[in-house]
Amino acid sequence: MITVNNLSYSYPKASGPTLKNLDFDIDQGEIFGFLGPSGAGKSTTQKVLYKILHRFDGTIVVKDRHLNDWGNDYFERIGVGFELPNHYLKLTARENLQLFASFYQKENIRDFEELFEIVGLEDDADKCIEEFSKGMSMRLNYIRAIMHDPDILFFDEPTAGLDPINAQKIKRDIAKLKDQGKTVFVTTHDMATADELCDRVSFIVDGEIRLTENPDVLKREHGKRAVRVELEKGLTKEFPVRELGTNKEFIDFVRSGEISRINTQEATLEEVFIKVTGKTLKE
Amino acid sequence: MEKLINVAINDFKLVFRDKSLRIFFVFPVLSVLVVLYGFPYIANLFPIIRPYISILMMSATMQNSLMFGFIYSMVLIDEKDTNVAKVYGVLPVSNFWFVIFRLIAPFLFATFFTIAMLSVEPFYGISFVSNFYYSALAGLVAPLMVLFVATVSRNKLDGMTWQKLFNLPTSLPLLAFFVPASYSFLFAIFPTHWAYQGFKRLISGESFALYLLFGFVYTVFLISLIAKRFSKSHFQ
Repeated sequence: MITVNNLSYSYPKASGPTLKNLDFDIDQGEIFGFLGPSGAGKSTTQKVLYKILHRFDGTIVVKDRHLNDWGNDYFERIGVGFELPNHYLKLTARENLQLFASFYQKENIRDFEELFEIVGLEDDADKCIEEFSKGMSMRLNYIRAIMHDPDILFFDEPTAGLDPINAQKIKRDIAKLKDQGKTVFVTTHDMATADELCDRVSFIVDGEIRLTENPDVLKREHGKRAVRVELEKGLTKEFPVRELGTNKEFIDFVRSGEISRINTQEATLEEVFIKVTGKTLKE
Repeated sequence: MEKLINVAINDFKLVFRDKSLRIFFVFPVLSVLVVLYGFPYIANLFPIIRPYISILMMSATMQNSLMFGFIYSMVLIDEKDTNVAKVYGVLPVSNFWFVIFRLIAPFLFATFFTIAMLSVEPFYGISFVSNFYYSALAGLVAPLMVLFVATVSRNKLDGMTWQKLFNLPTSLPLLAFFVPASYSFLFAIFPTHWAYQGFKRLISGESFALYLLFGFVYTVFLISLIAKRFSKSHFQ
């Protein structure tokens, strides 16, 4: 669906390139994530892909067509969820949607009530944005991005500023979009979101992709293939996953008391990120 | 066409729901009343002013355009402030049409109120066709100001400063009527010069079409120049 080869981009007057020879591809129906700290080039990559930034080096092919060959019809096919809320404050949520919807082909516009319901804004649709919290505005950002039923979606920190319940609603809906065959490109520095949502992630640092892989594979590869068992009485022991069911020591241990918890010892995505890039996501 | 109407209605709502902006819609109405009642009253009270009524009239028509220019430039600056401009960058509409959508309302409002102003003026008996030509040219100053102020301003405060600065070159060509005729060409760089000179000839019964035509072409040229810069910066 999206193929990027050797993508480099420099902002005018910048001393060096912000993106350096990026190579990645995103399949149809895939949720692909860009993970990296602030200033790594995540949003810049998206801006190039949704044609806000031009004059890049390299090749970008979207739906079998070079990005530069796409005209305004490209924007009928893509949806963009911005990192920060951006709505007309003096208009209601419904008026905001109506205005922007009027630029798209009518037959593609989804039912507004259904959209408001997805993000729990059905009772606030006729309120002015001035009365909205940041979280409510972010939810409106989300439905504005999907209201014209695009095939490709770009989300920049889609759960930023959301409480856990609403973040979950958005994540659930993104997963639903994937099931419908939509292609989703997410940038985030929130490992939990990436872990939960993405089929594949790329670690991007200083404008370079360091690694691209499935999050589960990464966690397995970089973690210990072991389980840690903790008993109520305070004893803790670690056992290799291999042949765990026939491991006598393990069986004796779990029988020796009430089990408090059992955890696999795979690495977290954050640990993998630090290990691979030598940087933390908060840098 | 539907998009154009939607954007125009939206802009109108934004202005009307903003307490600090909607008050400015009163001024063009007041200007019409000033031309209708105020100018004749002053001319009767101070006959010495009579020869300068035409200059006051030109100034009033331009102030009318500047008012709409100010109102709508604030809408665009607010759009930049709140990052809404970025959304327009990912909509299936070209930059050219976006600019047209946003400029048509201030142009039409400014033209309409100038027509109204010159229709009620009791001094020169300007025909509707001549009135229309002049008003359309004076009306173009509104979109010129909208684009200029919205392009160079980073925020509303900036916008206020720039709109005040924009007023100066708009009024400056009026000085051409107070300097020897051979020096008046010095003001030709300002687009309003052509409107003022056209107006002067219009009320004197002289040929004015060339002045208005040149003014029109020149102002549209300036608008298109600034529009290019505006398009580069507004959506990012």
